[in-house]
Amino acid sequence: MAKHNIFTVLLAVLITFVSCDDKIDVDVPEAPPRLVIEASLDWQKGTTGNNQTIKLSTSTPYFDTTLNTDVSGALVRVTNNNSGAMYTFTDQNDGTYTINNFVPVLNDSYTLEVIHNGETYTATETLTPVTPILSTTQSLEGGFDDEVLDVTILFDDPADEENFYFIRIQEEGDLFADLETQSDEFTNGNVQEEFFEKESDDEDETVEYNPGDTVNIRLHGISQRYYDYVSLLIEQYYSGGNPFAVTPAEIRGNCVNETNGENYAFGYFRVTEFDEVTYTFQ
Amino acid sequence: MKKSVIWMCLLMSTFLFAQEKFSVSGIIKDKKNGETLLGATVYLKGTSNGAVTNEYGFYSLTATEGTYTLVVSFIGYETISKEINLTVDQTLNFEIKEASTSLETVVIEGEESERVNIRKPQMSVAKLNAATIKLMPVVLGEVDVIKSIQMLPGVTNGGEGSAGFNVRGGAADQNLVLLDEAIIYNTSHFFGFFSVFNADAIKDIKLYKGDIPAKFGGRISSVLDVRQKDGNSKNLEVNGGVGIISSRLSVEGPMFNKKGSFLVAGRTSYAHIFLPLIEELKDDKISFYDLNLKTNYEINENNRIYLSGYFGRDIFDISQFIKNRYGNTSANLRWNHVFNEKLFSNLSLIYSKYDYEIILDFVKLDWVADIENFNLKYDLRYYASDKLKLDFGVSGITYDFNPGEVRPSDPSSSINFRKLDQKRAFEAAAYISAEHELTDKLTAQYGLRFSAFSRLGGQALANYANDQPLVYNEEIGIYEEGEEISTTDYKRSESIKTFANLEPRLGLSYQLNDASSVKASYTRSVQYVHLLSNTVSVTPLDVWAPSGRYIQPQKSDQYAVGYYKNFSDKKYSLEVETYYKNVANRIDYIDGSDLIGTNNIETEILNGEARAYGLEILFRKNEGKFKGWFAYTLSKSEQRALGGNAGGPGINNGDWYNTPFDRTHDISVTGSYDLNEKWKFSANFVYQTGRPVTYPNGQYEYEGLSIASFDERNANRLPAYHRLDLSAIFTPSNNKNQRWQSEWVFGLYNAYARRNAASVSFTQDFDTGINEARRLSIFGSVIPSITYNFKF
Repeated sequence: MAKHNIFTVLLAVLITFVSCDDKIDVDVPEAPPRLVIEASLDWQKGTTGNNQTIKLSTSTPYFDTTLNTDVSGALVRVTNNNSGAMYTFTDQNDGTYTINNFVPVLNDSYTLEVIHNGETYTATETLTPVTPILSTTQSLEGGFDDEVLDVTILFDDPADEENFYFIRIQEEGDLFADLETQSDEFTNGNVQEEFFEKESDDEDETVEYNPGDTVNIRLHGISQRYYDYVSLLIEQYYSGGNPFAVTPAEIRGNCVNETNGENYAFGYFRVTEFDEVTYTFQ
Repeated sequence: MKKSVIWMCLLMSTFLFAQEKFSVSGIIKDKKNGETLLGATVYLKGTSNGAVTNEYGFYSLTATEGTYTLVVSFIGYETISKEINLTVDQTLNFEIKEASTSLETVVIEGEESERVNIRKPQMSVAKLNAATIKLMPVVLGEVDVIKSIQMLPGVTNGGEGSAGFNVRGGAADQNLVLLDEAIIYNTSHFFGFFSVFNADAIKDIKLYKGDIPAKFGGRISSVLDVRQKDGNSKNLEVNGGVGIISSRLSVEGPMFNKKGSFLVAGRTSYAHIFLPLIEELKDDKISFYDLNLKTNYEINENNRIYLSGYFGRDIFDISQFIKNRYGNTSANLRWNHVFNEKLFSNLSLIYSKYDYEIILDFVKLDWVADIENFNLKYDLRYYASDKLKLDFGVSGITYDFNPGEVRPSDPSSSINFRKLDQKRAFEAAAYISAEHELTDKLTAQYGLRFSAFSRLGGQALANYANDQPLVYNEEIGIYEEGEEISTTDYKRSESIKTFANLEPRLGLSYQLNDASSVKASYTRSVQYVHLLSNTVSVTPLDVWAPSGRYIQPQKSDQYAVGYYKNFSDKKYSLEVETYYKNVANRIDYIDGSDLIGTNNIETEILNGEARAYGLEILFRKNEGKFKGWFAYTLSKSEQRALGGNAGGPGINNGDWYNTPFDRTHDISVTGSYDLNEKWKFSANFVYQTGRPVTYPNGQYEYEGLSIASFDERNANRLPAYHRLDLSAIFTPSNNKNQRWQSEWVFGLYNAYARRNAASVSFTQDFDTGINEARRLSIFGSVIPSITYNFKF
C-alpha cells in the first residue's frame, strides 16, 4: 500500500506537475456598458416558426452580479428583404420583444432594425436550412471516457456546398447549455457524427449522464459568418486565459450602429432552421 | 561606396605591415580527457599579442621574429608557459590540466578569458560550460540548458510549461538554436518542462543576445550555439545519473588507436513504467527520450573529421483520447582542415528535422506535420596578422515544410484525407568579417553577410480580389478572408518569390584602462522562416512557414553599447549593456485567427513591426568559495500591426501594445558555495514582472451564458513571478583517486511554495452562474528532487 502511495505521488508529480487551480481576486478593467442584441430567429423543423423572441440588454462590469440589465422601450423590427414583409416585435418590458406572426422562408434574407436611445442598429442575415438529425444513440465506448455514458447524433452533410452547424445541448435541470459548432471542412459530404459526454466527477456522480437523464439537443444550420462569430465566442468562453488558447479579443457581431459606429452592439442577428431531439438515457 | 573604400584601406594597411612576421598555431586540449577547449587564451608574455581558441580548440597568432614566452591559460585550468623561438612558422599543440581535480569543478566564467574579454569587440554574449549549468538548482533534478540561460540578463521565458526562451523581448522563433551546428526547431520535452539538451553530452553553450557575428544568420533575436563533447580520447569513461524523472547514461572513449574518440549518450524518462500500476492510467503512456552521438577521427595533424547526431522524441498516449509524438532529428558531418598556420577551415553537411503526429481517437483523425532541412556550409578563418583576423564562408540551406496532412485514423472515420501545401525554399548566404586591432586601445569587428532566400514552386497559389488576402469589413469592424478569384500554378523548378539582403555587422571596443572598456555594436539580421503561433505559449503543434508572396522576411536592426569592468584582480566583474532594436515585418495575427489546418495563412495575418529596448546589468563573483552572479534587466518590448493593404486600423486599433515577452523588471540571482570537500550548495532566485495578458473588461448574457468582453490586447498583466530554488551536492567520500566517483544532488524547486500564475482564466461557475477568476499554477508547492550521478 505504501509503495502504491509513493507511485501515486510520483505520478501526481509527473502528470499534473502538482499544478493547482484556485480562485483568486483580480482587478479587471471596466468598460462602459454597451447594448447587447440577442436576436436569434430560430425555426424548428415541422413548426410554423410564427413565435419569435428578441432580447435586448446591456453589458456590465465582469464581476457584477446584479443582473438587472434589461433594455425596454426600444423599437425592434425585422424585414424580409425578398418579400418586403415587415414584422414589428412587441416590447414585453422585461428586455424581451416578441412576435407571433413571423413567417420564415428558407434562404430568404432578413434585416433587423433596433432603435434605442435615438441610435439605429441594423443587421442582415439569411435563413440557413439544416439537414435533419438521422438518429440519436447512447453508448459507453464513444467519447473520451469509456466508463461514462455519451449520446451521439448522426446527420447527413450535403456534399455540394460548405455547411456550418451550431449545436446546443442541455440536460434537464442544468443551469447552462453546452454549445458547439461544426463545419464540414474536413468531412464534406460524409455522415456527420457528433457525440456529447459530460466529464465525470469523483465527488458527484450525478454530474455525468446517467440512465433516466433527459437531454435536449438542437442542430442549427448557420451562416459562415455566424459560425466564425459563435465559434470564437464558444472558444473564449470555455478557455479564456488558458496558456495554449488564442489571445482573447472582443467578439464583434453583425449588428451595426448606423448612427454612431463606435457605439456598436454586442450580440448577433441570426436566422436559422433547426432540428431538435429530446433523448432520455436508458 | 565611401564605406567600402575605407574598409578596403583598413584591410590593405594591415597586409602592408604584415611582413617579417611568423605564426604559431595549434590545438589546445584538456589533458585529462582530450576534449578540445573553446575560449582558451594563448598569448605572448609582455606583448598585447594574444589569441583565443575557436570551437575546435584551434588558435593561431602572429608576431615579429624573436624569442617569446608563450602562455596558455583558461579559467579553471593550470596556466602553462613555454619559451618559443619565432623564426619560422610552427605548430604547437598543448594539453592543459584542470586546476582542481574534484569531480565538479565549478567554473563560472566570462565570455572568454578575462584578459581578452575587455579587449575583444564581441559584446552581448554569454558562455556557460556544462559544469556551471549542472550546478544550478533545477526542477525535478533535470539539468536544463534552456533554464540556465534564463538566469542571464535579457533572457526570459513564458514561465513553467512554456517552450523556448525569449531574448531581449524577442519571440522564441527568433532564436537560432544550434546543436553542433544543426538547427533545433523545438527545444523542449514535455511541452516545455525540460530542455532537449542532455547535459552529459554537452561541452559548452554560447548565447549571442546581440552583436551576432556575420557567420550566423537566419534568425534575428539570438544565437544559442550548443556544442557536444567530442568524447574522451584518453580513457574509456562512463557517466550516468538516476533522477526522479529520467535516467542518463553516457559512454565515451578513444577510438582508432587514440586517433579519434566517440561519445554516446542516452536519456529516458520512465513515467511510463509506473503508469500501468494505476488502474485508470494503465493504457496511458507519457515519456521522452533522447540520444546523442559524436565521434571524431584525426586523419593527420591538419585534417580531422567529426560526425555528430541527435534524436529525441516525446510520446503522449492518453488512451481513447489523444496520441501525440514529436521530436527533433539532426546529424552533422564535419571536416576540419588546417591549410597552414594562418588558415583554418571547416566544411559541414548538416541535416535537421522536426516532426509531429497527433492521433485524435475520438474524432478518428490522424495529423502529421514536419519541417526538414539540409545545410552545406564552408567556414574559413584567416589569421592575417597579429592585428587582423578574417572569417569568411558560404552556406546553402534547403527547406522542406510540410505544414500538415490530415488522414482518417480508421475506415469508419468521417474525416476526408487532406494535405496542406508542401512548401520548399532555399536559403543561401556568404559572409566576410574582420576582427581588427586598429590601435592599442581600439579594436573593431566589422563584417557583411549577404543572404538570399527563394520560395520554390510546386503548387498552385491563390490570387485574391484587389490582391487582398485579408480585407477589413468597415461595417462590422472585423478582418475577414479576402475573396479568392483565381490560382497561379508554379512549377517545381520555378521560384515564387526571391529575397536578397545585405546584413552589415559592426562592433567596436575601446579599452579605457587595464580593467575596463566600453563597447558598441550594430547588427542587422534577416529571418526568412517564421513560426506561426497565435497562442500565448509556443506549442509543439505550431508550424513553420517560409517567406513568400504574402509573408515578408523579418528584418532587425539592433544597436547596443556596454561598459565592462573587472575589480579586485578579476575576482569580480561588472557588465552593463543597453540596447535598442526594431524589427520590420513581424507577423501579427488578427483577432480570433485560426491557424490550424489553414492552407492560406495569408488570410489570417497582418504585417506588423516590433521594437524593444532595455538596460542589462550583470555583476559576477568569479572566484572563491562563493561564486555567482546578480543580473538585472529593465526593458520594454512592443509590437503593432497597421491595416496596410487590408485596410482598417490594424490590430489593437493600430496602437503599439506589449508583446507577450515584455518584462519590465527581471532579476536573477544565482550563487554557489563550496562548504568543504563533501558539500556544495547553490541557490537561484528569480523575480519578473508578470506576463502581459488580456483581461475581460465586461460581461453580457448570450445563449444564457455570461460572455466576457475583452480589453485591448496584452493591456493587463499576470501577478509578478518569483521563485527560489535550492540545491545541495553531496560527494560521499573523498574519492578522487578511486575509479568510481559519485555524488548525490538534492534539490528544492520553488522553495517557498509560491503559486506563480501560469495563467488566469475567467470562467463562470456552472452551479452558481457567478463569474470568477481562476489561477493555474504549474508548480503550486515545493518540488523536492533527488538525483544520483556516477562516473567511472
